[in-house]
Amino acid sequence: MGYASTQPTGKAEMRCPQSMIAELMEIADYISHMRTEIAALRANEMTRDRIPMAHEELGNVLQATAGATNTIMEAAEAMLALPDDAEYRANVEAQIYTIFEACAFQDITGQRIGKVVEALRNFELRLARFASAVRARDEGGIDPAEAERRERAERLLLNGPQPNGPAVAQDDIDALFA
Amino acid sequence: MALDLNMPILVVDDYQTMVRIIRNLLKQLGFEEVDDASDGTAALAKLKNRKYGLVISDWNMEPMTGYELLRHVRADEGLRTTPFIMVTAESKTENVIAAKKAGVNNYIVKPFNAATLKSKIEAVCGA
Repeated sequence: MGYASTQPTGKAEMRCPQSMIAELMEIADYISHMRTEIAALRANEMTRDRIPMAHEELGNVLQATAGATNTIMEAAEAMLALPDDAEYRANVEAQIYTIFEACAFQDITGQRIGKVVEALRNFELRLARFASAVRARDEGGIDPAEAERRERAERLLLNGPQPNGPAVAQDDIDALFA
Repeated sequence: MALDLNMPILVVDDYQTMVRIIRNLLKQLGFEEVDDASDGTAALAKLKNRKYGLVISDWNMEPMTGYELLRHVRADEGLRTTPFIMVTAESKTENVIAAKKAGVNNYIVKPFNAATLKSKIEAVCGA
């Protein structure tokens, strides 16, 4: 090892000690502020509790809606297949009560979705606070899997359902095919 | 021309619930020969093995979408005249225009009712 690395070579090393101390104190303050903001993000709690909870709740919602749809469709199919006999009305009523019972899923799934929405709102608040505190800027490209997904969606016009119902009304589509 | 209620119909959708809904609606209309496939690739394989009188397909499926299936069907000498109805939640103008350009015979936006499905089948297959 030579002496060259310890010799003053640039403007930074020529600063007066007071200026350097002030700068170091500013950096120390920033680091302390960052630590506070990172702690406020509570990343461990998010990854350990809230994100798995959201996954689990949404999985349950999916399962409950699929189960209820299946029950309702089975009841409807059973009604369609009923013979037109003296028992017809009683049999239809029995299937209708099955449909009513199956519709109870909506109350439970509503509550589950409410929990997920609350968790998302919480993430949003924490991330917004953190991004503002560290003056975060979005840089860098997206990961290859996401880039591929976006390219496929664009190429194959996979826009999905529109937020407020169909973008083009069925009547307008019909006019195009008339 | 009356509808041929004996013609085989291929329903292509990755959601079994939707397949079941369309199957039931078709049954109500009197169609008994209904087959299904869960994406474009599976549908194409079935189309190569059997002559269908109508294809009713969703758009957004994996690995092959309904839009790609439509283009394959229209590019295939043996399949190009097969009537094709798109039944999809893709309701943007660009989707409808692209499907029409690719040769779709009719286009239904989800959610739909039995009357809409019936009128499109009649328009495409002749009533």
